[in-house]
Amino acid sequence: MKGIMTPRHVALWIAFAAIMLLLPQVVSNGTLRIIIFANFLAIFAMSWDFLSGKTGYVSFGHPFLIGIGAYTTAILSYRFHMPIEYSIPIAVLTTIAGGTFFFLPALRIKGTYFALVTLAFMELIYQLTQVIRPDLTGGTRGISGVKTLLVGAVPNYYFSFLLMLGIALVLWVLARTRLGTALDAIAMNEEAVSGSGLSTTKLKLFAFMVSAAVAGIGGAFYVHYLGSIAPRALFDIDFVFTIIVSALIGGASTIVGPMLGAFFMTFLLEYLRPLLPGSERYLIYGLVALVLYVYQPKGIYAIIADLRDGMRSKNANNSKNSGKVGDGKAA
Amino acid sequence: MAKLLEVENVFKRFGGIVATNDLSFDVEEGESLALIGPNGAGKTTIFSLIMGEIRQNSGSIKLQGREISRMPTHQRIQSGISRTYQVPRPFADMDVAGNIRVGMMPDSLWQMLLRGPDPKAELDVALSVGFKQEDLERTPSTLSMGDLRKLELARTLATKPEVMLLDEVFAGLTLAEIAQISELLAKKRKEGMTFVIVSHDLRSLEPLVDRAVAMNFGRQIAEGTFQEVMGDEEVRAAYLGQ
Ligand SMILES: Nc1ncnc2c1ncn2[C@@H]1O[C@H](COP(=O)(O)OP(=O)(O)OP(=O)(O)O)[C@@H](O)[C@H]1O
Ligand SMILES: [Mg+2]
Repeated sequence: MKGIMTPRHVALWIAFAAIMLLLPQVVSNGTLRIIIFANFLAIFAMSWDFLSGKTGYVSFGHPFLIGIGAYTTAILSYRFHMPIEYSIPIAVLTTIAGGTFFFLPALRIKGTYFALVTLAFMELIYQLTQVIRPDLTGGTRGISGVKTLLVGAVPNYYFSFLLMLGIALVLWVLARTRLGTALDAIAMNEEAVSGSGLSTTKLKLFAFMVSAAVAGIGGAFYVHYLGSIAPRALFDIDFVFTIIVSALIGGASTIVGPMLGAFFMTFLLEYLRPLLPGSERYLIYGLVALVLYVYQPKGIYAIIADLRDGMRSKNANNSKNSGKVGDGKAA
Repeated sequence: MAKLLEVENVFKRFGGIVATNDLSFDVEEGESLALIGPNGAGKTTIFSLIMGEIRQNSGSIKLQGREISRMPTHQRIQSGISRTYQVPRPFADMDVAGNIRVGMMPDSLWQMLLRGPDPKAELDVALSVGFKQEDLERTPSTLSMGDLRKLELARTLATKPEVMLLDEVFAGLTLAEIAQISELLAKKRKEGMTFVIVSHDLRSLEPLVDRAVAMNFGRQIAEGTFQEVMGDEEVRAAYLGQ
């Protein structure tokens, strides 16, 4: 574990947490509500990143996992009056079980086909919520009146931020172990990982389960924040894009990048709302993502790392291999 | 001496092509075997079959007397076989040290999580194939063909193999690089490593091997000392015919 977290890392994390925890003193409740959404989006983007950013198995169906978490706890607590101390852990376990389902196609297929299968999973669960036991799932209308955990913007802000921070720290540490390196290697050349004597099945299963657990936690707490579930908005391709674009513009496989990307995307989306009330908004941020992507394919994370390196050494020759900066050792 | 690797009557078809046709050969412990043959003879195919990257249609492959045909690749590596690729395929976004690190990892999630990398051991492997300390942080895109071949060897050595299958170790190298890699292989051989070496560079290959097997169209066409095999009519015809 040595070398994973240097004193500088500790200082950066503490500074980040301190700023975020002081925020309610200076910003309005409206802004806090936006950041609450950003915190949840960050959780989803990091979940996606631990699976897709790391191993290269691109999920287009992450709402499948998020939805299992959200529906399980919503149904158990709302329909069966189960206390949420039980319904949430059960929801997370159920999502992990759903994650192993998600994992099965990854044994045989890769790339675009895998992405399509995961998209199909999302579509499937969307249809299922309509057909199977609509008395439980609420069918098209979903469920409203789900118990909320906390009342008010400030408590919800603190809670969602601490949840997000905890998840970010755990994933960030995991990503920096040798296991994280091995997952990165899978994205680069899976055959050579087997050729190094490692079971890629075991590694991928681990990535899927961790990703599912995080998606489940995020989904479950999100539904207890909103107090309702709307299948249309949840199992939606725009939602998928929001997650993926957050992760990509933040910097895939860096965990911290997708977290920053989620904040960036949330505010972008928010400021575009008055200008573009419809879903054209998503076009714009597709464009922003594209521009960012062309400028620095490794995302915001690499841009920050570049700036830092530039400031640190004046004679830095970051002209040619800027790609090196984002390879996990930076920051 | 004990047989380390045995290939028996192995058939592999790709559609209409028979890539290995009733192929048999074996390698003794500590022996170095040359595997030669013209383009398309099936040399790379037999390596992929031995590693379990593809599966034969029939025939058996044994390591230390144990049938391994059903084992997945990573278990074969753990049992002591390892290969390099004709076209080097490093982990492109990782530096030299990172590439070696993956090769050295134990196949245990717990150990990967709880124990960090061992930079000293990574350096030792890198130095042993002729890298310098400052090469550790270089990424594959900045390496010459010679360095890429060294990296292949390093990644392979990092898995602590007992037998190494080397596919075209000298292709694309300068004379100086060939000399460097030859020296490295000679040293490993002296230390008792078992080799199967594929190369079109017969002159560089000869001093590194005890014995040779020649193949053409997936079949073995000659076997014996390097001299005997090179003197064989069919081998000459196969090489001239290409
Ligand atoms: N995956 C594959 N699918 C179809 N045919 C293949 C495949 N791999 C190899 N072949 C064919 O099998 C035969 C043997 O190929 P192989 O690569 O083993 O030859 P080789 O002896 O390594 O040749 P070279 O000296 O050119 O590397 C060739 O005819 C080749 O075209
Ligand atoms: Mg070949």
